[in-house]
Order: sequence, then structure tokens, then C-alpha cells
Amino acid sequence: MSLPRSLSPLGRAMATPLGGLAGGWLILVILAAVLAPVLTPYDYDIQNLPQSFRAPDAEHWLGTDEFGRDLLTRILFGARTSLSVAVTSILISVAAGMILGALAGYLGGRFDRIVTTLVDLTWSFPEILVALILVAIIGPGATGTMVAIAVAYLAQFTRLTRAQVMAIRAETYVEAARSLGASDAHILIRHLIPNALAPVLVTAMLSTGDAIILEATLGFFGLGAQPPVPSWGSMMSSGSALLFKAPWIIIFPGLAVAAAVIAINVFGGALIAALDVRSRPREG
Amino acid sequence: MLLNLRRWMLAAGLGVASLGLTGPAAAQETTFVFATSEVGVSSYNPIPATLTNAAFSMIYDTLVVQDSDLSYHPSLAESWEEAPDGMAWTFHLKPGVTFHNGRPFNAATVVKWIDLFRGSENSYMIDAVASVEAVDDLTVRFVMKNPDPNLLFNLSSSFMGIPDPEAVAELGEDFGITEAIGTGPFKLESFTQGQETVLVRNDDYTWGSPLSANKGPAHIARITFREIAEDSTAYLELKSGGVDALMSIPTDYLGEIKAEPELAVAEMPGQEVFYMAINVAKDPFTDLKVRQAAALAINQKEILDNVFGGYGKEAHNFLISALPESKLPADADISYDPAKAAALLDEAGWVLGADGVRAKDGQRLSVALWTQSDSIFRRLTEVVQAELKAVGIEAKITTFDSSTIKDEFKSGNQQLAVRSYFWPNADIVDWFFSAERLGYPNTSMFNDPKAEELRVKAMTGSATQEERIANFTAYHEYVTRQFPYAPIYQPVQNMAYNIDRIEMPAEIHATQITGVVMVDVKVKE
Repeated sequence: MSLPRSLSPLGRAMATPLGGLAGGWLILVILAAVLAPVLTPYDYDIQNLPQSFRAPDAEHWLGTDEFGRDLLTRILFGARTSLSVAVTSILISVAAGMILGALAGYLGGRFDRIVTTLVDLTWSFPEILVALILVAIIGPGATGTMVAIAVAYLAQFTRLTRAQVMAIRAETYVEAARSLGASDAHILIRHLIPNALAPVLVTAMLSTGDAIILEATLGFFGLGAQPPVPSWGSMMSSGSALLFKAPWIIIFPGLAVAAAVIAINVFGGALIAALDVRSRPREG
Repeated sequence: MLLNLRRWMLAAGLGVASLGLTGPAAAQETTFVFATSEVGVSSYNPIPATLTNAAFSMIYDTLVVQDSDLSYHPSLAESWEEAPDGMAWTFHLKPGVTFHNGRPFNAATVVKWIDLFRGSENSYMIDAVASVEAVDDLTVRFVMKNPDPNLLFNLSSSFMGIPDPEAVAELGEDFGITEAIGTGPFKLESFTQGQETVLVRNDDYTWGSPLSANKGPAHIARITFREIAEDSTAYLELKSGGVDALMSIPTDYLGEIKAEPELAVAEMPGQEVFYMAINVAKDPFTDLKVRQAAALAINQKEILDNVFGGYGKEAHNFLISALPESKLPADADISYDPAKAAALLDEAGWVLGADGVRAKDGQRLSVALWTQSDSIFRRLTEVVQAELKAVGIEAKITTFDSSTIKDEFKSGNQQLAVRSYFWPNADIVDWFFSAERLGYPNTSMFNDPKAEELRVKAMTGSATQEERIANFTAYHEYVTRQFPYAPIYQPVQNMAYNIDRIEMPAEIHATQITGVVMVDVKVKE
């Protein structure tokens, strides 16, 4: 298949059928989150107890929850929490991980050993455990969750960047740059980090899917965004206690999480193909 | 592997025994699920326990037992007399009682056990007891520092189940975990913390209390108690036949359980109260008017009808309504009154802002509302949050894990907290509002000289039951008028069981499901 060379990697990923479908769904979810207040006539936080546990109907497309609130409205606003927490925490994680990893890989020596040890330490526990410990220290809520997820995923970005930088460091063009008198900062910023970027971006994309699940898990334990702010995880959690009485309360947020994570993974797969160095047209 | 071998040998042994004796039906085995409020026991040693479950009362007997009408009846004590001035109690012990390890139970046992109790977490229960003497082998006298009409209640509580004091000394920290030696109708076979407890019948048991129909060994030969924290999981286990009974069920499932032909519900009077603790030491709740307003914002009826499906009762003060000390003057009881709440907040200078939240001197009336992660607490707390918002108080919810929230309370940083307790005695007011226990259990940080005076009088200054009721009612009323809490709801106690598997006694003569009830329970083969 030959694609127009002018397209960016993102564009090339979107141009494949599966990638397009997944990307389209993600754009839809992001739009729904942004436009939530205009899309629904209901409030996400105003309780209407006599209307509790209404099954899906024309008035409430996805039914109401245990407080009589419109479930679709809660899912739209929940997308804001879930996506913003997941994306922000991964951005923090990527930024911090790339800086640490690049410095460790480029400088080597004692700094490298300290960073590697610390990072390996967090890597020796499952992400959920690291996140739970951190939330216990920082305290529940959206900020706590963000920091916890960011630290939980820091290890992989640090190690990935470090490995990339160490591989590229020995390349002849880096040596050439150094012999021409380029400073360490110049080499890092202009040569090493840009070339380490592609795999980090793909990993970041895939990790965002994991982060959504981690955010939902923390929300499920009641440790994420605090009520009445909805998050998909906390909605599923309250729904789990009502599984037999009002199954829609857990099913729809669950579907929202599943669809978003599958879309991210599929799109991430398409992005890997699009970013593959071998298929990328040579510059210059 | 080893365990399997032991189990196999046990099974083989049982098989041989039943061949030879054709005794009770071969497999009286069953699985129950502990009440969700009783999940998380760390040891079966009653002396330092802060949480007990139904298995405690099956492993350990108490001197006296309490009927569902709150009257007291013999158990390990056959009879007892109180001295006319209340300064001594004499208990006559049942003869022929032995511990699970064969040691005899007698007056010396009681003396040693009370010694172990001193200085423990629960020693307040014997604060009024100066000393305990063995008069003869089967007679024991409690000499009092001051009269304590509540002594029988304390002696009937599951915390005062009597372990073998020698075994406690021998096993130390392991007592209650690897072994638990009592005189009760069941022996501890194994205990996996947070998961399951297995009890087997004590075949030597012949000292059942008059509250049980069966005075001899229990019908059930082996019972497994599972700990399942999430109600829906437990319900699913019951429905699918994985377990035979749940010792508590959420009101959400009452309708469904009653509709299932093979499931039945046993109801007992409630002993639990849900309330909102108000920290009197933290602004803005240092102001009595703001506390009262927050308390009057709670709509007990709305919560009873919508969160608890109409099952149970509204709570209007701190005690369960079965207790005489709960009968306060009508104007002391706390009931929903949003107009008065708004007026009080206006008086206190908190003016309603455009966003529906009140403010004073540029500061918004925004407070922290703590809750624990169990689903019913989270749900109730969200309704409370909305009710507070309706009078202009913004409450920000913080959810803590149920196991860590006690430590958080010790910091004293809470402002409001939705909580519940399970206790059928007025001395719970002392437990939660005594100035000696600030932070936890006194999450309200309530420290008031007049209340302390009334508290001491209620705890130690009552010679008779009537005096104690009057003193506790006065203490309870005073505390309630200071609004360190807002009453919310009193549940009923429900257990659910599979009628194809379990036969419950027709009447339950206990304040909850205890060993007294369990010796009468039969498994249908």
C-alpha cells in the first residue's frame, strides 16, 4: 500500500481502516467530553432521589443511577475525569521519564546507577500497588490519582529513553557533532531526544489506555475523583453493589472504559506501523 | 499436602466413628458468611479485641447471656446475687465445665481471666470492679469500687467471652490465631485472616444456656465462615448455593431475597445507628449554630425511604430506640428542619452566595466530609452531601479505606464524617464522646466540662439500673443539645439463609446471632 508521503505519522495511522475507526472513536469521545454541558439537558450532580434506578428509556437513554441522576450525562462528564487524569498523568510521566532517562543514558556513571536503581525499585511492584501506596500518602482525589499514575508509569519511559539514548550516543553523527564542538545540551536536545521520541510516543499512547484502567481502578476503590464528580471507575464501583437491582449502572460505564481502551490500543498499533523507521521516508 | 493428609485422616476417622456409633447424621457441614460489619477480625483473642464477629460467641462462653428483650440469663454462671448496696456481686458457676483443651473451668479461672483483662483495650468494662475473689471452687465474688448496674451487660458482651487464661499465657501473641481455647459449643479449627474461619463442634458441650433449646452439643458438626466485604458478591454466593447463609444483608437486596422461593430472611431488632460526626474543635463547627444547622439539614425520612428502601427506622438521637436512655424530651431530638437550618446560618453570619454556597467575611462555607469506602457509606454520604448543599453548606467528600480511617481520625483533621456503630447499650455515648478518647473514638473531638461531669456520674455514679437510666438519659440529652453529631438512620438486623439447607430456631433469644442461637441451628441433609 502506498500512502501520500506528505502525511504525518498520525495521519498515516488514521488512513488505515482500523486505525481510522479507532481514531474516529477517540475523537468522538474527546468531543463528547469537551462538549458535555451542551450535549445533555441534565446536571451530573443534582440528585433526584424519587427518580432513582430508572431503566433506560426515551427520557434517560442509559437510565438513572442510585441518586436519580441521568447516567448518560454522568458518563459524558466522567469522560472528562477519566481522559484528563489519564492524559495528564502520562504527559507528566513522559516528560519526567524522558529527562531522567536521557540524562542517565548520556551521562552514565553514578547518576545513571542511582536513576536506574530508583526506577527499577518502582518497576519491581505492579503499577496498581505503586499507585495505591502513593494515593495513600498523597490522599484521595484527582490530583493524588494523577501523581500516583504518573509515578507508576515513570519507570518504563525512563528506561526506554535511556536505552534509546545509549544506543544512539555511539552513532557517528553524534560523534561528528561533538567533534564540531557541540555542547552536551545541544547534542541531547537536537540529536538524542528527537531520535528517541518515536518509541516513547507509541508507548505513551498505549500507556494512556492502561492509565484509563488504572484511574478507573482507583476510582473503583473510591480513591479517585471524589463525589459528586463522576469518573467511570467510581460509577462502576457504585454500580457493582447494585448489579442485580440496576445492572445498567455498571454496564454502561464499563463499556465506555472498554471502548476507549480498545480504541487507544488499536490506534496505538496503527501508529506503530506508521512510525516504523524503516517505512519512514528519508529526510533530505 | 500435609493439610490434605490431615483432612483425609480426619475424614477417615469420622467415617469410622459414624460406622461404629451411627450417631448424628453424617455431615452436618455448612458455610456461612460473616456480617459485612464484622469483616476484618485480626485474632480470636477476645481480651484485646476491638472488633468481634459471631464466631467469638461460639468459641467462648460468657458468664451471663442477654435475651432479645435485653434481659439477662445464666450461662457459665448458674445464678448470681448483687449485694444490697451494689458493692459486691457473687456468681455461682456451673459445675463440670471444661475448656477445649480439657482444663476445668472454675472460680480460679475467672480470677486469672479478670487479671488478664486489666490494662487491655477493653478494661473499661471492669473499671468498677476492685477485685475478684474465689470464695470456693465454684463461687466467685466481684468486689466493686462503686456500684455498676451495667456489670451484667459487660459480662454478657462478646468481648467478655472467657478464654483459658493458661493458654493465653502459654501462646502469647499466637493465642486467637493458631489456637483459641474457650468453653463454647464450637472449637476453632483454622483461621485465615480476612478469608475464612472454620469451627468444629465441641462434642463435650453439655452446658448450653436456658436461652437455647438444645443444651448439649450443637447440631452442626463443622461450619465455615467466610469473610466477603462486598454485599453483591455475598448475595451472589447465596443465590448460587455457594454458601448457606449471610449474617447480614443490605436493604437493597431484601426485596429480591424475599422473592426467591428457597431463601428466607430472619429479622432481629436493630442495634446499629448511622450518624454524622461533627468536629466541634474545627471551624466553622466551633459555632454551635453552625453545628445545629448542619444537623437539621439531614433529611432522615428521605434517606430511610430512598437509600434504605423504607426498611429500618429514622434516627433522631444517638441511641437505638430499644434503649430506655433513647427517650429524650421531644425538643432535644434532632429532626430535619431546613428552614431553621437556614435561619441559624443567617444568624451566625453565613450569607447565601450566588453559587448556592454560603459565605462569611469572604470565606465560603466549604467543609470536608469524610467517609469510608464501603458502598453503603459512599452512597449515604453522597445524599448527605446533597442535603447539606441544600442549606448552603458545601461538603467535599474524602473517601478512606475502611481499615485506615480510624488512624486518619486520630489526626483530628476531620470536619464532618459519616459513621455507624453497632452496640445495644447507652454507654456508647461515653465511648464516642468522652474527653478521654479524643480523635478516635471521639471523632467529634467533643470536650465539654459539663458533659464530662454528667458522663462520670452516668458511668460510675449509679447504684441501681433506674438511676443509671436517669443519669445516662441526662448525659445523652446534654450531648445531643451540643450537636457534636447528627443522627441519620437505624437499620434492622437481617440475616438471609437457604431454607433447603438451613433450619433456624423458630425464635431467636439473643440480641444477634450468637453461639446461643447457633447450637440450635440444623443443616438439612
